[in-house]
Amino acid sequence: MLEKGRISSFQLSVLLVGFVLGSSIIITPGGDAGHDAWIAIALGLMEGSLIALIFTALVLRFKDKTIIEINDLVFGKVIGKLISVLFLWYFLHLGALVLNDYVHFFRLELYPATPRTVMLLIIMLVCASTVNRGIEALARCSLILVPLTISVIFLVTMFLIPHFNLNNLMPILDLPIGKLLWSAHSVASFPFAESVVFVMILAFLNKSEKGGRAVSKALIIAGLVLIIASIRNSAVLGPMVAAYNYPSYQAVQVIDIRDIFTRLEILVAINFITMGFLKISVLLYGTVLGLAQVLNLQSYRPIILPVGILMVILALTNVANTIELFDFTHKIYPIYAVPFQIIIPLITLIIAKLRQLPKTDGGIP
Amino acid sequence: MIALLLMGFGIVALIQIPGLIKKQWWRELACFTVLWSIGLVLSVMLAMGITLPPVSTMINQYISGMFGI
Repeated sequence: MLEKGRISSFQLSVLLVGFVLGSSIIITPGGDAGHDAWIAIALGLMEGSLIALIFTALVLRFKDKTIIEINDLVFGKVIGKLISVLFLWYFLHLGALVLNDYVHFFRLELYPATPRTVMLLIIMLVCASTVNRGIEALARCSLILVPLTISVIFLVTMFLIPHFNLNNLMPILDLPIGKLLWSAHSVASFPFAESVVFVMILAFLNKSEKGGRAVSKALIIAGLVLIIASIRNSAVLGPMVAAYNYPSYQAVQVIDIRDIFTRLEILVAINFITMGFLKISVLLYGTVLGLAQVLNLQSYRPIILPVGILMVILALTNVANTIELFDFTHKIYPIYAVPFQIIIPLITLIIAKLRQLPKTDGGIP
Repeated sequence: MIALLLMGFGIVALIQIPGLIKKQWWRELACFTVLWSIGLVLSVMLAMGITLPPVSTMINQYISGMFGI
């Protein structure tokens, strides 16, 4: 096996919470639903959880196997490898999109004069170094970073309570049902169902039977954090919430406690650095491990740096400008992601059930 | 800029290749070389100011056309 490390179900949950918070910590999902974004997130969480049920059922059916090995078993070597390459493209592209979010945020809000390449290379080197140390190191990083991030979110939310105007959340369900459902689906595809990349990680659970519960718990915790952040942003910013690209960053700028605690928005930026690091690392890990399995390599470590460089190049050339990035994320991504998040895992699961795979020695699954 | 790039790619190669040769991992060496070469060519093209096709924009146009968005 290419990965010798093992993680507990608790570590998997914490890593998954960090992954889901990832870039959604600044780009609060469901933004196009305006002040009803929290309802869209709740509905999206339900859809995302259903999608997660599909891929966890698939991976846990084949114990200790990643999606690459499962594809080979279910579809045969040739078609299996082709489907695996599609998944690897998705992981690589998603990694590049997160890098894009990262760079666009820092260029717009914090470091307008720093070249994009420098920022991308710095974060990629940190991620590559972590991935080189294996899944256990990555999971242990999340054990430190995720609780800190969630604590900071709750802290700034407490500071913002005096600025809350709950009338900003009224009227509830002000949106046409079609628009709300589209918004909910876009929340499901980003960020909840992106957890499909854990089809590369669930195989390394030390107690695989706890995988399903660990994934569900993580999605619910991350969903609750995002709902709280969304209600906070709407309550503070009012109708302007839909106008901001980074509403959490804008909302936290309002905090001013006796001229001592001000400019706390840097905490939101730090949260994004840490959660973005986790998300990019998980995606890089999934890509290199999968590629090593497709190519029958003895280790994924030699290809971490070249694949990391390709991810950076893709991030540099992915979109022409920030407007196109937001256009892609809000309008196109919810459609583009459907085959990778729902269709392929569902078809694989159905075929595995029909073929009664995996077969044991006696031929009984 | 291109000299910096070549230096960076040279360092990456120096870090990886000796270990792979020592372990006689020829398949890994071949994969590394292919990926490293693709990265090098694309990076030099970017450094020379050659515009590479924006992938997400192309997907954007394709899906927009398909679904009439």
